[in-house]
Amino acid sequence: MEKIEDFQYTLDVSAIVAITDHRGVINHVNENFCRISKYSPEELIGKDHRVINSGFHDKEFFLDLWSTISKGKVWKGEIKNRAKDGTYYWVDTTIVPFLDAEGKPYKYVAIRNDITERKLGEERLKNSLKELSDYKYALDESAIVAITDQKGFIKHVNDNFCKISKYSRSELIGQDHRIINSGFHPKSFIRDLWVTISHGKVWKGELRNQAKDGTFYWVDTTIVPFLNEARKPYQYLAIRSDITERKQAEEALRISKNKAVENAKALENKNKQLVDFCNIVSHNLRAPLVNISMLVDYLESSEDEVERQEIQDKIKPVINHLMEVFNELVESIQVQQDKDIELDDIDLHQMLRKVLLGFSFQLTELKADVHVDIEEAPKIRFPHRYMESILTNLISNSLKYRSPQRKPIIRIRTIKKANKIVLSVKDNGLGINMDLHKKHMFKIRKTFHKHKDAKGFGLFMTKSQVEAMGGKIWVDSQPDLGATFFVEIDNNKL
Amino acid sequence: MKRIQHLTLVDDDEVFVFLAKKAIKQTNLVEQVKVFDNGQEALGFLLENLRQPSELPEVILLDLSMPVMDGWQFLHEFTKLSPNLSKKIKIFICSSSISPEEIEMAKEINAVSDFIIKPINKEKMIEVIQKV
Repeated sequence: MEKIEDFQYTLDVSAIVAITDHRGVINHVNENFCRISKYSPEELIGKDHRVINSGFHDKEFFLDLWSTISKGKVWKGEIKNRAKDGTYYWVDTTIVPFLDAEGKPYKYVAIRNDITERKLGEERLKNSLKELSDYKYALDESAIVAITDQKGFIKHVNDNFCKISKYSRSELIGQDHRIINSGFHPKSFIRDLWVTISHGKVWKGELRNQAKDGTFYWVDTTIVPFLNEARKPYQYLAIRSDITERKQAEEALRISKNKAVENAKALENKNKQLVDFCNIVSHNLRAPLVNISMLVDYLESSEDEVERQEIQDKIKPVINHLMEVFNELVESIQVQQDKDIELDDIDLHQMLRKVLLGFSFQLTELKADVHVDIEEAPKIRFPHRYMESILTNLISNSLKYRSPQRKPIIRIRTIKKANKIVLSVKDNGLGINMDLHKKHMFKIRKTFHKHKDAKGFGLFMTKSQVEAMGGKIWVDSQPDLGATFFVEIDNNKL
Repeated sequence: MKRIQHLTLVDDDEVFVFLAKKAIKQTNLVEQVKVFDNGQEALGFLLENLRQPSELPEVILLDLSMPVMDGWQFLHEFTKLSPNLSKKIKIFICSSSISPEEIEMAKEINAVSDFIIKPINKEKMIEVIQKV
């Protein structure tokens, strides 16, 4: 007997115990039962066991319970009960029916253990799992999602990914992520991406990808590395959103902006040309016209035959001069307009030989030295006719404006400067006072020395030819030391 | 009618100079005409005769477009030396230019009395001389 009491003691200490009659009316509860249910024994004894029913379980649950125990079998299960204060608790429950002589239960002993903590933990886990799957659902619905392994091989793609890339899932899984690489981004850009994510950092940026059908799409991309215990990425989650439309709008805007700038530049250039042209007309065409009109007026008013003859003789040269200026102007306009002139591959050695041959008489006569140093850029892409004219003009000037004090030395050089070639012609001649003439160096009918053949057309024409091809021309000079003319040609564009 | 002793033409256009001299002669108002065919030469003459008022002109007709030293550069140099001149010299620009920009630019220069647009004739010359 003592032994049974010991068992009962142990049970009362360790478990929540209740005994009901065969109808479920409580006739015994232990302390643990009262503590967890927050009822006193008086409030429980004589009451139906359903007093602690939480309403959490459905009818079938209890039907199953009752049908088990009423048949005299032990029932085990987890039940959520409600305490007096309305709080819930979970108990792992074993109900043992005690049978009478006929084998019918006359009482039930319910032994319970508090499993509320575990149940809450489970519930929380379930909730957070649900939340997680909600997040995944939301992500899959809203974004383009892919997961790759640490080497960039695709392990998972969502429907949006398939839709935008136009590949089926089976075509993507197991493939290198580069399958959608458009080749648009420079290598350094992609390298930067990989350096970032392989160091476990999140990368954000805009990428242009290529779909299966060859079309391009832009995605705003966030790549999140998933790290193992060693803090090393074992997979990458890429979340993207389609920004193709925005990118296209941006590109269209950029193009139209560039076009506008280009147009403005072209317009500015045209305007400058027009102002130059206006000045040329004003000075260089109007001047001989004025002379003709004055000569004619005099001719009409003069009655002296000798004077009339003198005036008459002056008309013809003025008309010739006018014609000459006019032709020069037309020629320069043709150069400015002829933007589509064909480019030739010029062997400068060959061309210089030919040009210098044309000066051979003068060069010998003047004992001139010509040094050619064009090894750095012996070939040039430029219209043949223009280059020949430029070289002829510059060499001719060096000889024409030589110093009477010394024999002429001319140095012709080419140097490479990035994508440009700079051709220079340097002499030891009279030089030009740059303070006075810098502004007018390349203007039509501007001369800087008194020379019978100085017309002020050569450099004007040379500048027209150089600028028509997108090049630049300038001069460096000191009086009585010589002059160096530089022609810069953009060989990249040519 | 007002008469003047010296008039100087600074112009490289031989035909114009020939015709201008004729027009000046027709006015009968000018004693002596000097011609320089660019700014540099005219400037050289002025520098040599700074202190000799009898050699200096009362009026200069200045072309703009000339070799070696053009009219604008001459005006720049003239402005610098004018305080040292022993005679008041009036300068008229005499150019074939009809560019409003250049006419505007000339107005900005104190030394310039007026801008005469070529062609010129006897009547125009009289007008100029009366302004001196």
